[in-house]
Amino acid sequence: MNEQYLSVFIDESKEYIQTLNDSLLKLEKDYEDSEAINETFRALHTLKGMSGTMGFESMSKLCHKMEQLLDRIRSKKIKLDSTMLDRLFAGVDILEKMIDSIVRKGTDQLPEVDVNEFAQGFEVLSAGKEIKENTSEQKPTQSVVSISESIEKVIAEAVNEGYNAYQMTITLSEGTQFKAVRMYMVFKAIEDHGGQILSSNPAVEDIEQEKFDRDVQLILVIKEDKESLRNMIMSISEIERVTIQDIVHAEAQKKPAEKIEEVEKKQEAKVESTKERRRITQTVRVDIDKLDNLMNLMGELVISRSRIADTLRKYSIKEVDESLSNLNRISLDLQNVVMKIRMVPIAFVFNRFPRMVRDLAKQLNKEINFIVEGEDTELDRTFVEDIGEPLLHMLRNAIDHGIESKEERLAKGKPPVGTVVLSARHEGNNVVIEVRDDGRGIDRSAVIKKAIEKGLITEAQAEALPDEKVYEFLFMPGFSTKTETTELSGRGVGLDVVKNVVESLNGTVSIESVKNKGTAITVRLPLTLAIIQALLVKINNFVYAIPIANIDSTLSITKDQIQKIQDRQVSVIRGEIIPIVRLWDILELPHQSEDSIYNTVIVRVGNRKYGLAVDTLIGQEDIVIKSLGKIFSDVRIFSGGAILGDGSIALILDVANVA
Amino acid sequence: MAKRVLIVDDAAFMRMLLKDIITKAGFEVVGEAANGVEAVEKFKELKPDVVTMDITMPEMNGIDAIKKIREFAPDAKIIVCSAMGQQAMVVEAIQAGAKDFIVKPFQHSRVIEALQKIG
Repeated sequence: MNEQYLSVFIDESKEYIQTLNDSLLKLEKDYEDSEAINETFRALHTLKGMSGTMGFESMSKLCHKMEQLLDRIRSKKIKLDSTMLDRLFAGVDILEKMIDSIVRKGTDQLPEVDVNEFAQGFEVLSAGKEIKENTSEQKPTQSVVSISESIEKVIAEAVNEGYNAYQMTITLSEGTQFKAVRMYMVFKAIEDHGGQILSSNPAVEDIEQEKFDRDVQLILVIKEDKESLRNMIMSISEIERVTIQDIVHAEAQKKPAEKIEEVEKKQEAKVESTKERRRITQTVRVDIDKLDNLMNLMGELVISRSRIADTLRKYSIKEVDESLSNLNRISLDLQNVVMKIRMVPIAFVFNRFPRMVRDLAKQLNKEINFIVEGEDTELDRTFVEDIGEPLLHMLRNAIDHGIESKEERLAKGKPPVGTVVLSARHEGNNVVIEVRDDGRGIDRSAVIKKAIEKGLITEAQAEALPDEKVYEFLFMPGFSTKTETTELSGRGVGLDVVKNVVESLNGTVSIESVKNKGTAITVRLPLTLAIIQALLVKINNFVYAIPIANIDSTLSITKDQIQKIQDRQVSVIRGEIIPIVRLWDILELPHQSEDSIYNTVIVRVGNRKYGLAVDTLIGQEDIVIKSLGKIFSDVRIFSGGAILGDGSIALILDVANVA
Repeated sequence: MAKRVLIVDDAAFMRMLLKDIITKAGFEVVGEAANGVEAVEKFKELKPDVVTMDITMPEMNGIDAIKKIREFAPDAKIIVCSAMGQQAMVVEAIQAGAKDFIVKPFQHSRVIEALQKIG
C-alpha cells in the first residue's frame, strides 16, 4: 500500500483509539450509556474497515470481534458488564500496540500476543454460543431444478396469462462478497418487475445462509422477454454469467432447450491516471521536521535582521528607517505565524491520561474523580512530545502517594472519592500546567528529617526554611526512592526527572502543599522554545540576556536603599521587600565601578521575586536561543546562548537558578 | 461526461481511498460528506449522479440518509459501502432504495464495476 495512505491511516487510527478509550471510560461510569455504546461500535467498525483495506488482517479481525460484542450489547441481546469492559480495554490496548508496530515495523503482527485466541474470547463473551463462520467450500450445486407437478401447474396458468417461464442459472463472480445479499438483489429485481420465482436450487433458506458456491438455478415466470430479463440481471454487480432457457411447457426438463445464451462479462477497469483532480482541502499535514526547519530559518532571519539593523543604526540613514521598521514588523508577523503553526492543543498530551488514571486507580483500589481542564490550551509542538512523561510522573505521584485510601479518607472526614485535577492555561508568555490533588499533602517534617539525614541542612537551618525551599529537596536526584516516598507520605518518585525535563524546556516547576488538604505541582513552560524576547544587560562590557517573560520591572536604586536583613541584601520596592543580588557577584567577576546607583532588573520566578543589579541596560531584542551544548550541561545559571545583531554572543540567564 | 460522484463516509481515510479509486477510473468526485446529515445537504446542493454511502456513521446513518434523499430524489443512485458482517444492514439499505453495494476492504474493480453498472 501506498505510503501516503499509510500515514493518514496511522493518524486516523490513533484518533479512533482515543475515541475508543474515551467512550469506554464513559461506559465504565454508566453501563447503559447508549451514546457511548454507539460511539464505541462506530469507532471499531470504522477501524475494522480501514485496517482491512490496508491489509492488516489481524487488526481487522480483532476489531470485528470487538464490534460483534458491541453490536450484541447495542441490540440489547446481552448486558455490558465489567468483565466485558476490561476485555474491551485490553482489546484497545492491543489495537494500539498493533498501530505502534505498524509504525515501527510495518506489520500488525504482534509476536507477544496471540490475536486469534484473544479475539476468540470476544466470541465467547458475545454469545456463549459459538458463531460459526460460513466456509465457502460448500458442495457445488450442479443438479437441475426439478419441476414438480404443482410448479408445472402454476407455469401453465402463468403462460396462459401471458407470462414467460424460464429456467435461469446465475453464476456469481469469483470472490463475490455477501453472496446472499447479491442473490437477494436478483430476487428483488425479478419481483420488482412483476416476476415470480417458483423454485430455486439451492433452496431459499440455504441461499440466505450462503450455503452455495457460485451457481443458483431458478425457475421463474415473468412478462419480460429473455433479452430484457438477462439485461436486468446483468445490470446487477458481481454476476459473472446468466444462462436462460425457455421452459417449453411441461416437457422442459427432459429436453434441454437448444438455445442457451451466455453472456460473459468483461471486467472493464479503465484506469485513467491522467485525470487526477485534487481539490483543495482545509488542512494540510506537514512533517514536523519541515516545521523545525522553518523555525530554524526563521531564527537565522531574525539574527540577520538584527545585524542589518545594527549596522545601519551606526550610519543613521533616514531613508532606510522606514523600510527597516517594515522589515521588523513583517519578520515579527512571520515569526508569530510560524509559531502558531507549531502550536497544538495540549489535548494531544492530556488525552491519554484518563485511561492511565483509571487503570492506576483500579490497580490501587482507589476511587478517583479525574478532572481535566483547559485541554484547548495551545503549546509548542516540541513540548508535546517531551512533557507527557513528566506529567505522567506527576499524576502517578498524585494518585499513588497523594490520594489516600478510601478508609483513610473517611477517617479524616474527607469524601471517599479523591479528586485529581489536571489543568492547563496561558499566563502571559507561559503555558502553565498544574496537577492538583486533594490528598494527604507533603509532610514537611518528614522531608526535613530526610534532608538532615542526608546532610543537606542542619537542624538549626531547617526551622527557618520556607516551605518552597523544603519541597525543593524533593526535586533532588536520589533524594527519595520509591519505598521511602511512602514513608514521606508525599511524593518524590521521579520528581527530579520532572524537573530535568521541564528545565530542559526552559520551564520551571514548583510545589505547593498543605498537609491533609492536598498538593499542587505547577509546571511553567515558555510558549515557544526557539525565539524569545530578551532584555540585554551589560556587566564589565559583557552582554547578557534576560528573558522578558521573567522580567517584572526595571528601576534604579541607590546604594543606601539596600538594607541588610538576616545576611541578605534587600530593598523595599513599592512596599515589597525584595532581595537584591549583584550579578557580578553571582558570576564571580571582578567589579571595579562602584557607582552609588544600581540599575536593577526585578525578575520573577513562580511566586518569587528578586532584583538583579547590573551595570547597564541595553535594550530589548528578539534572540534565537542556541543550546550551550553537552559540555556545559551542568551550567545552571545560563539556559543558552544567542548571537546578537553585531555578531557578538550573549549568554542567556536562567533566572530560576541565578538566585 | 464523467459521472459526478458524492462520497459519504465518516473516515477521512476511506474517503481519500475511494476518491482515488473513483478519480483514477475517470469519474469526477464532486463532494464528500462525513455523516448522513451532511450527505443529504450535499446531495441537495450538488445533485450528484451517484452517491457512495457508508452505513455506519455518526449523526445520521447511511440507511436513514438514503431514505431522506429518496424522499426528494426518488431516482437517486446510491451505492452503499459496507463492512464484513453487515449483510442485514445491506439488505435494509437496498430495501430503502440503494442500487448496489460494495464491501470493505474495497476491491478497485468492484468499485468501478458498481459505478459503471449504475447507469
